[in-house]
Amino acid sequence: MRSIRLKGLKKSLEGGLVLNGIDLVIPSGKFFALLGPSGCGKTTLLRLIAGLEQADSGKIFLGERDITELPIHERPINIVFQNYALFPHLNVFDNVAYSLKLKKLPKELIKEKVLKILEAFHLERHVHKLTTQLSGGQQQRVALARAIVNEPDVLLLDEPLAALDFKLRERMLIELIELQDKLKTTFLYVTHDQFEALTVADQMAIMNPSGQIEQIGTPKEIYEFPSTSFVARFVGTTNILSGTLHQLDTDPHISIEGLGQFKLQVPQKREWMQEGCNALISIRPEKIFISKKEVKNFSNVVKGIVSSIVYHGRSTQYNVLLNNKSRLQVFEQNEEHFPQEVIDYDNEVYLYWQKENVTLLEQ
Amino acid sequence: MVKSNSFATICHLLIIAATYVFLYTPIIVLLVFSFNSATFPAPWTKFTWAWYEELLASVHLWKAFLNSLIIASCATLISLIAGVLFIFYAAQGGKIGKFLPLFYGNLIIPETVLAVSLLGFFSFAMIPLGMTTLILAHTLLGLGFVIPMVYARFKELDYRLTEASLVLGATPIQTFFKITLPMLRPTLLATSLLVFILSFDDFVLSYFCAGSTAQTLSLYILSMLRSEISPVVNALSAVLLVLSSGLVWIFFSLRTRTKIF
Amino acid sequence: MKKKTLSSEYPFAIGIPAVIWQILFFYAPLLLLLVGSFLTWSDTNTFTGVSLDKFTFFFRGSYLSVIASSLLLALSNSIICFLIAYPLAYFMAFKGRKWQNLLLFFLIVPFWTNFLLHVYAWFFVLEREGFLNTLLQWLGITSEPIIFLNSTFATMVMMVYYYMPFILLPMYSSLEKFDVKLIEASYDLGASWLQTLRKIVLPLCSRGIKTGFFLVFIPSFGEFAIPELMGGDRRMFVGTVVSQFILGDETGSFGAAFTVFSCVVLLISSLALYFFIDWLLKPKATRW
Repeated sequence: MRSIRLKGLKKSLEGGLVLNGIDLVIPSGKFFALLGPSGCGKTTLLRLIAGLEQADSGKIFLGERDITELPIHERPINIVFQNYALFPHLNVFDNVAYSLKLKKLPKELIKEKVLKILEAFHLERHVHKLTTQLSGGQQQRVALARAIVNEPDVLLLDEPLAALDFKLRERMLIELIELQDKLKTTFLYVTHDQFEALTVADQMAIMNPSGQIEQIGTPKEIYEFPSTSFVARFVGTTNILSGTLHQLDTDPHISIEGLGQFKLQVPQKREWMQEGCNALISIRPEKIFISKKEVKNFSNVVKGIVSSIVYHGRSTQYNVLLNNKSRLQVFEQNEEHFPQEVIDYDNEVYLYWQKENVTLLEQ
Repeated sequence: MVKSNSFATICHLLIIAATYVFLYTPIIVLLVFSFNSATFPAPWTKFTWAWYEELLASVHLWKAFLNSLIIASCATLISLIAGVLFIFYAAQGGKIGKFLPLFYGNLIIPETVLAVSLLGFFSFAMIPLGMTTLILAHTLLGLGFVIPMVYARFKELDYRLTEASLVLGATPIQTFFKITLPMLRPTLLATSLLVFILSFDDFVLSYFCAGSTAQTLSLYILSMLRSEISPVVNALSAVLLVLSSGLVWIFFSLRTRTKIF
Repeated sequence: MKKKTLSSEYPFAIGIPAVIWQILFFYAPLLLLLVGSFLTWSDTNTFTGVSLDKFTFFFRGSYLSVIASSLLLALSNSIICFLIAYPLAYFMAFKGRKWQNLLLFFLIVPFWTNFLLHVYAWFFVLEREGFLNTLLQWLGITSEPIIFLNSTFATMVMMVYYYMPFILLPMYSSLEKFDVKLIEASYDLGASWLQTLRKIVLPLCSRGIKTGFFLVFIPSFGEFAIPELMGGDRRMFVGTVVSQFILGDETGSFGAAFTVFSCVVLLISSLALYFFIDWLLKPKATRW
């Protein structure tokens, strides 16, 4: 009913081809995030769905309805713009009431709806102010209120929190999740910030700079099991090493020049996985255990020398130089429940990880 | 702030003070002597309102004033409407912007040249000179300001606001009247004011295109200049000065409240 | 960048009245003027042919000197206005932010007052029995009235008086948007006030200067009213000559031709000036 289906969307802008045949389904009533680097075309995609741009080819469906040719103002889809786009000559009330007034609803009803939503957003005290007199966070909430007061089928959010500072952003993310949960409107949230995407999304899609969707899945799926090296690198930080695959059916491992053999887990054998072929492995820094001592029970180990240490408050990041001149990044949470060994610059360390925490990627 | 150098600053201030003295001396002198009961060059004798009374009674003056008012109002109104239509088309995505350079002509052609060519045109088209031709001519002045200024401001408007309006369900026409036009209002008002003043104070175009029937305020003052120097003109100056100040004040309150240009 | 989101299904006619008006009443007459200056008419008002007669007529000393006078007038007026206006604009933009509005207000009020009134005011001041003469005599500085009016001096004074705001406003507008930090950076790096002015400020506001300069230069060239009213018959300028032609009996077409002729001269000199000013204001780039 309120799902969005994109079929083969193609769009070129002045710079060239932006979207090259996008196929995507955004399920009804879910909080969907579209994550990608700046300039990859995600905003363009959003604008196509809203009707602000026309696709060169392809179709857009809202539920069962083909809305590809439908003009902007007839689509029951609203956008929250990045810079809010609040009408400067109207006060808060009139901004929010704008869409309702267009529908010619009775005055009393409009007043009721608008005040109710402003209350929910803690904006009752600012009802008659001009939007230019509000703070960034307040403006953001007005923009949100304006976009949902007329109960659209779909809400599009174009990096709505980009202009807010960190603490405010964190708070707004939670509020957005709760809002979506309550309204059950389909939310499509576009951002380049993976933290935001991972936080809010029920489901997400990763877009690469060429305007193609690389992976679709839940945040956990995407983070833990990235399907390509782009996704692995873009979402979170990771270590990527390359080597050759051996004995895939019996005792799968990867042979890395200068370092040795490392055990792997192959949950699903793919076509490209052949004996002796080149492959990449991705290991997240938090999945590596660093120690000066020898530890048992890990499937993989490698030796190295600590080249830099960065203190991040709740975690410490170590960059470790390996024998073959490549580096591994390690995150260690600063739990300090018990006295820990101190790891310093130029120390010789062992890095351990489990084969289950390694993702195998095509080169 | 910039480095202070007291000698330079003092010189600077002196130049500026001198400039303003230069600007205002004639006016102040004029104002002061509008209250003098004797005609200049007689020195100050008595304070009197007599000249102002004579001013109010002068029929010719009022007729000229009214004419100027009518011409200015019409010119402003026509320019404004033409400007709004121009913007309306542009707001719907029409590529009318490419005609914009046409309107820069007013700045490139001296007014005398324009007046002369209009004169030729009017006689060619056999349009008798009078109020109509004046309004025609003054509207040209108006367009040269309204179109470039309003269009420039229109271009500066955040296009996302129109997009927001459309997304929220307004048709393009509703968007134009509810969003675009209200946001352009300060600029429209300011340019209207500008055009009104330009037309009201205009001399050259009136001199050439008025013919013998219509007389504008400028032409009236000219005739007075040529005939006799009477302090009535001083009184008139005072009144017009007050009016101008009022209009400038309106302009300024527009300017400080919202961005115009 | 404005993204085209709306369809232009509206007929062109909606937006076009302004354009039509402009073409009809601005460009058509000018074209008529241009064409008319090439045509010759016989005494019985019948069209005889095309000729450059009227133009060659103007290639004589008296007329060329008129044009030269106008150029000189325009140029000196523009320069003087610039010299007076720039310090003021500079002050308003950088040093006197709080005074800005007040200064602007008092600048615009005379600007928006009827032109003729200003002429009258200066008459009042500069007349034989006018204010200035009376004052000077009263103070004992002079014993006899000085003839100020009906002179090029009076014309110049009035020209500067009238045109100064035209150059000030664009310059002020571009200076207002100027980033003060650039000036601070220049001082910080060791430049003096004059060097900063020449190398940083002037080049960056050259657009405003050029706009203002030509807003004064071009109308000044064709200026008719001020020389007519205040200059007497001492010197003839383009504007006064043209008006004499036009208002005369048979000389209408000569007026047209002379207008066209002087316009051409104006155009050429404006272009030359434009490039000159551009060259003057831009800093010399280092050659590698």
